[in-house]
Amino acid sequence: MDVALDRTAPTVSDEAALVTELKAGSEEAFAYLLAIYQNPLFNLISHMVTDQAEASDVLQNVLLKILRGIRQFNERSSLKTWIYRIAVHEASNHRRSWRRRLFHEPFSMDDEALQVTAQTAMYKNNGETPYSVYEQAECQAQVKRAVVLREMEGFSYEEIAEVLGIAEGTVKSRLRRGRESLKRKLTARLSRSL
Amino acid sequence: MIFESCSEIRSYFSDYIDGACSAETRQSIRYHLSHCVPCTAELERYQELQAGLHGLARKQVSPELALRLRVEVSQELHRRVFQRFMVRLENVFRPVLFPSLGGVLVALICIGLMLGAGTPRVSNIPDVPLNLVTPPRIQVLAPMNFDTGNQPLVLVTYVNAQGRVTSYKIISGQRSPVLMQRLDRMMYYSQFQPAMSFGQPTSGRLVLSFRRITVRG
Repeated sequence: MDVALDRTAPTVSDEAALVTELKAGSEEAFAYLLAIYQNPLFNLISHMVTDQAEASDVLQNVLLKILRGIRQFNERSSLKTWIYRIAVHEASNHRRSWRRRLFHEPFSMDDEALQVTAQTAMYKNNGETPYSVYEQAECQAQVKRAVVLREMEGFSYEEIAEVLGIAEGTVKSRLRRGRESLKRKLTARLSRSL
Repeated sequence: MIFESCSEIRSYFSDYIDGACSAETRQSIRYHLSHCVPCTAELERYQELQAGLHGLARKQVSPELALRLRVEVSQELHRRVFQRFMVRLENVFRPVLFPSLGGVLVALICIGLMLGAGTPRVSNIPDVPLNLVTPPRIQVLAPMNFDTGNQPLVLVTYVNAQGRVTSYKIISGQRSPVLMQRLDRMMYYSQFQPAMSFGQPTSGRLVLSFRRITVRG
């Protein structure tokens, strides 16, 4: 963990050599990759998955996918955006499957499932459907991903667009919505505390 | 760019703090901010929010998880050792596979042609017998019709160094004058290979046996 803080992402010229080593299956290269990316990826995944305890499992899956897929990395994008794209996809899939599990298994004895079932019933009383609640949550999650990548990971608009597979204009609009929403929440909290 | 309301200009604040809006829009926002206090306060809130997000504590992997990840990576890499070996083997053999296959096929065709050429050619040069001393041999026996009776006719012939019969002696069999006359003629017209001694022709003896053979048609 301490080692990772001392390291920085490789430059473009170093990246080609690193990719070559990774493709050759060098354990040192993978250790280096792990030292650089494990903390930022864990941070991103923690903000994306609903169940925090499963963030480590998702991170483990992401690393395995990187290991198995590095041969197919064609270097059309940077290694960094390729890795983050895998992480975002894996975390999104996990989040979707988690929510699907909860919405489709209302009689599960799992406490969280019961809680969500109760919430769903409440939403139904308000005239909403579980699907609309799900859609809203997905929408919020998409906005959150863009904000986390921009504000916490320092990605450029171009990099965010590449990682999320969307246009730069969509990145801008998601950031606007995300910041606006955060600002409103912050203002409401401040007014409550005053 | 001219903004008609504060709410319109505020929608560009997100792009403005990222430096992602055009120079013209930037200039318009600055001009508006120079005389609009509420919008300036709103922009400050955006900037505070951004600074707050930047300052948020990043979640980091625990030492246990870091170790687990290292072990997982190591195990996965060692699991791939056999696959890597197979890939390397394939990479080594692929460039030489086609030429070597061609070589093997050409070799097989050549061997087939060599075997298909039939029996080896017989040399016209008579071989010199390697034995130091060899007896005389019949080369051409003159065809003569004579009757040996029921007993086989056995005789010893003396062949000189030129391959000619100098004399012969009947050891067993019929000794009629007619038979003797025909035997003389046959010996005269027959050709013999002389006996050889150390590569040189020399005189020698040869035992011949004749027997009448009747074939029923």
